[in-house]
Amino acid sequence: MTDLAIVTEKLTRRFGALTAVDNVDLRVTAGQFFGFLGPNGAGKSTTIKMLTGLLAPTSGRMQLLGLDFSSHTVEVKRQIGVVPEGMGLFERLTGAEYLHFVGRMYGLDHATTLQRTQELLEFMQLADRPKSMIADYSHGMQKKLALAAAVIHGPRILFLDEPFEGVDALAAGALKALLGRMTARGVTIFLTSHVLEIVERLCSHVGIIHQGRLVAQGSIEELRAGIAGSEGGKTTLEQIFLSIVGQSGGERTQIEELSWLT
Amino acid sequence: MADVAQPVGILKQVWLIAGLRWRLLHNSLRRKQNRLDLLGLIIVSLLAGTFVIGVCFALFVGASDFVSSGRSSWLSLFFWAIFLWWQLFPIIAAGFGISFDFRTLLRFPVSFGAFYVIGLAYGLADFTGLAAVCWIVSIILGAAAANLALLTPIFLVAVLFVIFNVALERLLGSWLERMLARRRSRELFFAVFILLMVSVQLIGPFLNRYGDSVGSWLPRVLPYFAYFPASLAGSGVGAASEGHYGEFALAVAGIACYAVFFGGLLWLRFAAQYRGEELSQAPAPERTLRNSVGRRSEMDALALLSPQVAAVVRKEIRYLLRNGFAALLLLLPPILVFALITQATLFRFSGAASGTSPELVFPGLMAYIILILMAPAYNSFAYENTGVQTYFTAPLKFRDVLLGKNFVQVSLIVTELTLCIVAFYYRVGLPSAPIFTATLAAIVFTVVGQLSIANWSSLSFPRKLAFGQVHGQRQSGMAVLVAFGAQILLFGISSLVLALGRWTGDRWLPAKAFALLAAAAFGGYIASLDALTSYAEKKKEKLIEALCR
Repeated sequence: MTDLAIVTEKLTRRFGALTAVDNVDLRVTAGQFFGFLGPNGAGKSTTIKMLTGLLAPTSGRMQLLGLDFSSHTVEVKRQIGVVPEGMGLFERLTGAEYLHFVGRMYGLDHATTLQRTQELLEFMQLADRPKSMIADYSHGMQKKLALAAAVIHGPRILFLDEPFEGVDALAAGALKALLGRMTARGVTIFLTSHVLEIVERLCSHVGIIHQGRLVAQGSIEELRAGIAGSEGGKTTLEQIFLSIVGQSGGERTQIEELSWLT
Repeated sequence: MADVAQPVGILKQVWLIAGLRWRLLHNSLRRKQNRLDLLGLIIVSLLAGTFVIGVCFALFVGASDFVSSGRSSWLSLFFWAIFLWWQLFPIIAAGFGISFDFRTLLRFPVSFGAFYVIGLAYGLADFTGLAAVCWIVSIILGAAAANLALLTPIFLVAVLFVIFNVALERLLGSWLERMLARRRSRELFFAVFILLMVSVQLIGPFLNRYGDSVGSWLPRVLPYFAYFPASLAGSGVGAASEGHYGEFALAVAGIACYAVFFGGLLWLRFAAQYRGEELSQAPAPERTLRNSVGRRSEMDALALLSPQVAAVVRKEIRYLLRNGFAALLLLLPPILVFALITQATLFRFSGAASGTSPELVFPGLMAYIILILMAPAYNSFAYENTGVQTYFTAPLKFRDVLLGKNFVQVSLIVTELTLCIVAFYYRVGLPSAPIFTATLAAIVFTVVGQLSIANWSSLSFPRKLAFGQVHGQRQSGMAVLVAFGAQILLFGISSLVLALGRWTGDRWLPAKAFALLAAAAFGGYIASLDALTSYAEKKKEKLIEALCR
């Protein structure tokens, strides 16, 4: 049997009358590069927040690396890394100070933290501004730092909420290479992104959530095969996504005429 | 496309912004947290209102008496008091200010005129400004009650005086923010403060030695104060009451000149902001921060603490040192204490207050320091921003975060108290052993007792504050109320214990009682950590939402 890194059973989260995540059953195998897709407001961030301990589920179960999240919270958190929505940075620390802070929060010893901090800053090309505060970093630099902080303790699962947003092409290439190496070493990566090309290029498996419900899950090939009436050529992830979400969601496919704009 | 670009007048823009403020308040009340916040704010405002109304009565009676007894120019004293209040109190109590930064309006096509008017209006819309205006109205009414003919002159003087004060207060606040946002000027500012602190200590001996010559200087210096706006306001009213309209016109012109001058400076300041200058986001210069990671490699000073607690402690210290305004507030209590000690010393030298005794002053000063220094603990996550998520994604128990924060808080209090005790010992002398011991035990009791409540308050009523800003900041109303209640409760218990000591005649009874209470508070604190860890888990969504917004 394949090792499952992430398992959710009937995971549900309600905000008053609104059900943001509705009975989601996720299966992510260890070492998979898993893309979690959905339109705005579909429940992606809510799901990732629940999986990383930032939000409590209303009902349902979560198992990460075979451990029940609710009863082994600290053990699970020790083995996961997170780049949350908004990045979760302490903006009035320098990059080095922040990485040191996070390393120590994850229980790394002093020497290891210092060594990894230095290595990560150099890898992320942030070492040339050791004295700048994070508040003065560009958005892309902050993203890189948030990713560095998420991996400093060598997590077995990495949760990334829009990791490439605002990152330049050069840095994005380096990050993709890093993430690729991590999955090759058995790290599970769970990412959300609106850029479907990136997901298609990086992820082996995807899950699509729409209006709180998981409407599709599997490898990209499996999803491709499941699309009825696909054109002769290779169906792109965007086409798969639109065919699952675009029409069923009842979104407007036609742009209304905004005569006053022209 | 261009058909929308209709020019909008200043009044219309001000009206639109007033509507926006109302809509923001109205919509915010949909959340329970915000409703509680407003409730707390209303209760605190009622308490503050009692103080304001009390002073209003005093000023009404005083103004009426001065005018009816032919001493109208003595109103200068009131105007001086209001002037000092208006310019100094906002720095001490910025937490009561408004939470809307009017500079965010810059993204709209707001004209500079409207921007300026709104900026001035915000200077009137905080507690300090409202209280000052109420007091000025009381003076007007008091003076008019005694002599109705004075209504017009004093009203004119008062309006100009208000404009001058608003402009100056906005200008000072604006410059203070700008200065504290930059490391070099911040350091310079703190250096001046520390020098001031030291020099305050020298006033006593200086006056003791040169008191006579200073006494002869004073009459020569005082007339120069006549040219300041507060004195001009009083003398103007005095001149009007005696029918000297030429002098009255001169005084009015003088205040108007001040108002125009500071209004002009404020105009320049706001113009810089209008052009896009962002005061509080001055760049962190490359040379500003030493590479602390490298420095740490030599020795880990916090090795005795767990890595998580030590990490929080380091982060807290860095945040404190980089948040100019918060650091400034921490410096204020010892400065004021040194000033008070000097006063006490002066009285002792002159023999004017033979009753001044360390037995009473010492516990009072210590209580005052705790009152001020504990206040930030009631909203201790205010500056975390999105970073607060780290506390919930990291593999730790929330007690570590609370311990780290409380450790820094207590260390600060201990440092400042030690400084003050040393200064007190040097200038006044220590109180008797029973009082000294009782005070120390009472400190432990009130600080540790408050920590548990403050931790709960921080989790229950979090409110995001902008780092390093003076204006546009408001604490959570409920947090202020909880702090107020906790301090009244703990200081009430302390007073009861002291009274019990006096009543029984047992001088060591308060020390014993406080030691017991301190032990109980400590036990309660330790027990509360686990409960608060569970509570944090329950409250994490609200905490993250409040701070990451």
